[in-house]
Amino acid sequence: MVKYLAQRLLLMGITVTGMVTVVFFLLRLIPGDPAEYMLGDYATEESLAALRAELGLDLPIHEQYVRFMGRAFSGDLGTSVVTGQPALAEVLASLPWSAALALAGIVIAIVIGVPLGVISAVRQGSWTDLGVMLVALAGISFPVFWVGLVAILVFAHELPLFPALGATSSENPLTRLHHLALPALVLGISVAAYIARLTRSAMLEVLGQDYVRVARAMGVRENRVVYRLALRNALIPVLSVIGVTFAWSLGSAILVEAVFSRPGLGSMILKAIFARDYQLVQAGVMVLSLAVVLINTSLDIVYGIVDPRVRTA
Amino acid sequence: MTDVSTTADTAAPTRRAFGGIRSRYLRHPGFMTGLIVLVLISIVAVGAPVFAPYSPLETDMLKTLAPPSADHLLGTDQFGRDVLSRLIWGARISLQVAAMVVLISLTFGTLIGAVAGYAGGWVERVIMVGNDILLAFPGFLLALALVAVRGSSLDSVILAVSIAYTPRVAAVMRSVVLTIKPRPYIEASQAIGMTASRVLFVHVIPNALPPVIVVATVSAATAILAEAGLSYLGLGVQPPAATWGNVISDGQSYIISNPWISISAGGCIAIVVIALNLLGDGLRDTLDPQMRRYAGSRML
Amino acid sequence: MPDGHKPADYALDVRNLRTAFPTDAGTIAVVDDVSLAIRPRETLAVVGESGSGKTMTFLSVLGLTPPPGKIVGGEVLFGGRDLTKLSAEELRDIRGPGIAMVFQDPLTALNPVFTIGAQIVEVIRAHRPVGVGEARAQAIELLERVHIPDPARLIDNYPHQLSGGMRQRTLIAMAIALRPKLLIADEPTTALDVTVQAQILELLAELRAEDDMGMVLITHDLGLVAKYADRMAVMYAGRVVEYCEIHEGFAAARHPYTHSLLRSIPRLDGPAGEDLAAIEGQPPNLEALPPGCAFRPRCFLGSDRADCAAERPALLPTGSDAHLSACLHWGELAAGGGR
Repeated sequence: MVKYLAQRLLLMGITVTGMVTVVFFLLRLIPGDPAEYMLGDYATEESLAALRAELGLDLPIHEQYVRFMGRAFSGDLGTSVVTGQPALAEVLASLPWSAALALAGIVIAIVIGVPLGVISAVRQGSWTDLGVMLVALAGISFPVFWVGLVAILVFAHELPLFPALGATSSENPLTRLHHLALPALVLGISVAAYIARLTRSAMLEVLGQDYVRVARAMGVRENRVVYRLALRNALIPVLSVIGVTFAWSLGSAILVEAVFSRPGLGSMILKAIFARDYQLVQAGVMVLSLAVVLINTSLDIVYGIVDPRVRTA
Repeated sequence: MTDVSTTADTAAPTRRAFGGIRSRYLRHPGFMTGLIVLVLISIVAVGAPVFAPYSPLETDMLKTLAPPSADHLLGTDQFGRDVLSRLIWGARISLQVAAMVVLISLTFGTLIGAVAGYAGGWVERVIMVGNDILLAFPGFLLALALVAVRGSSLDSVILAVSIAYTPRVAAVMRSVVLTIKPRPYIEASQAIGMTASRVLFVHVIPNALPPVIVVATVSAATAILAEAGLSYLGLGVQPPAATWGNVISDGQSYIISNPWISISAGGCIAIVVIALNLLGDGLRDTLDPQMRRYAGSRML
Repeated sequence: MPDGHKPADYALDVRNLRTAFPTDAGTIAVVDDVSLAIRPRETLAVVGESGSGKTMTFLSVLGLTPPPGKIVGGEVLFGGRDLTKLSAEELRDIRGPGIAMVFQDPLTALNPVFTIGAQIVEVIRAHRPVGVGEARAQAIELLERVHIPDPARLIDNYPHQLSGGMRQRTLIAMAIALRPKLLIADEPTTALDVTVQAQILELLAELRAEDDMGMVLITHDLGLVAKYADRMAVMYAGRVVEYCEIHEGFAAARHPYTHSLLRSIPRLDGPAGEDLAAIEGQPPNLEALPPGCAFRPRCFLGSDRADCAAERPALLPTGSDAHLSACLHWGELAAGGGR
């Protein structure tokens, strides 16, 4: 287990370093002079020179890289060209909004997706199975931002149950929750569709295993076989499924934030892209990706705790 | 038939083999539906100039936001453009993106994954660490960032989505190759002195393709969704070009008064994506039961 | 064979059992009119190649035919009841305390995420109204009975921490947990090292004697189980083709397939350098069986006899009621004097 833990953490270190490297090169993909591109047509010579110096664009590429990495790991992700604030501070300010949405979304997705996937697998070939799988198919096929629009049309306009705006300046936690509800549901349902499909196949795989047959051959009750003996096996792959969908749900969250005009990392990145505020885009992409890696590493560790083959190794 | 003779005595394969046959029947309708829908939409997309009643860009300021009528089956948008015609032309963009992304990610993903899996050792380790790093980014975020730096255009969308989804194909390819590598015919080819690249292209890649094709089908679906998302955010193919994402975006402000604009465009996306997913599910269930393992959790 | 006896004479009496699977090529019978009977305290060896239907026969007996296969005919008499007619819940009561099964591969047959103790406790508590503590004490006793050293400690191990032989012992412990009247062991040693195989078979024989069980040893290796079995049933293409006392089978097999099987067993007492005869031809394809005797294409008596091709020969007494064969020409084998 200690070895497993060490491996995971080492892998996380490598991945994070790699991702920061990718982000470094991303900015260098800008055709021509990034400084000019970022400051636009009204840039003065001095401001251009200042930005080039800050980005280190006049240095050879390997020195730029070393400088960039050094700064990134010390928490200096540059400065927003638009506000003049440190990019990291701007990112951290919008992080709670995204975290709330993603967390609520993934909780909804698990609560809906896992049981549906299990039921579907247990009743493989039945109408229930077919129904669940058709709904899940629709769920992964409709664009999440479109589902958001329809949700606004139906649940904010036709039946005014929820506000159309995904955020409020109110301090009242209930009001805040009320604004969060619809975006979280939209995100949650689309992720639930993935989780249900993957849970179903994980569960089917387990139900076809010899040890399930053995339990049945020994007269263990079907409910015990499915919900105690098989489910614990299936939860291990489901856990990694959740890790995979988490990254995906953060991608969708960008779109959900846009539909519901909700502040957050996605909205911030988007605004920064339009403002050509690349330091901020860079910082946003980095933090969002880092969050994914952190979550996945934590899930890997939980995985190790749940699976005795790893734990006792 | 080796199926039954080997299966009748060992538990797990029996279930699998017979389950496969059964689901082949069950799934066939889905597979066929997907195929037919895709063929029809492809025909519409290719023949857009013939099928579309109006030009997708032709504005008519006297007839803005018209409700559906005999003249304009799906009404018009805020510039008086015929929504149906825009959707028909939009199919071209969506299918083009899907086809190109599949072509690019399949070519490079297959090659990268096969080389990594087949070469093994440090080559594999280096390639897979790189691959895993790209995989760690949320795909849509990576595509978004790439489009942001490269500028918004059809090419850039295709490139960005391809880069974001190639690592997924590579990961699947590698895991399949790892299971193929120890098979006797591979060892035999090596033993008779075939060069590594020949073994790779003659034996390894063709035998590993089925699961990869399943993943490619699913990534076509993802590509369409990603393009629509980027267009919706205003970062994809730029207006006034007719894409489904753009139409949804145009209709968003009028979602209350003229809901059909956005709704019909979303419907188009969903139909194509459902068809692709049906196709992928059907392929996965019928081609080879063993591939469920690879295609299952990797498709995101 | 079952005729002339009261059902109570048998621990298990399978009559004309048919189990079929729908396939692309139509319905195929993987178990085709199989009749078998096991007397109390008797060990029956069921022999055949992969795909001969030997495992499927006993999965059908337990009502565990993997879908979409199902029993389409026949009776399975156990304890005076026809198991094919019981409800799922009634059948569940039989599995374990009535008939228990030991599976082939002890690695896949144990659940990797539960300790072996938890798995045995699960089985005990499925049938007995005892608490976890009591069930655990019983589990430790069971592990002791199957000669697992230090059971009080090993009970909390996960399957992957045990050797193949230990895992198989665990499965056997699970199978005898409810003192079944009949134990079905499906290739219990196939996945094990040669040195462990004999130990497991000895253990099974010992437990059979202690608990007065009937036992079925399903195997593809007749030589391995010969000394532990009283009678043998040879299966080919879903049917029983020979059914007799085991020493009779070895001394004077009356079906050419049994003959071929016996000739493929290496014998220590055989003349050195004697060739082991592999059975010629391909194992039967159940979707495309030849008309008449299914073994005909591989038969050393000749594959072109008209009577063999006419219809599938029935399993009939040959000389004595205790020796049944499904070969029309068993007399030629008897004349030849076996091996």
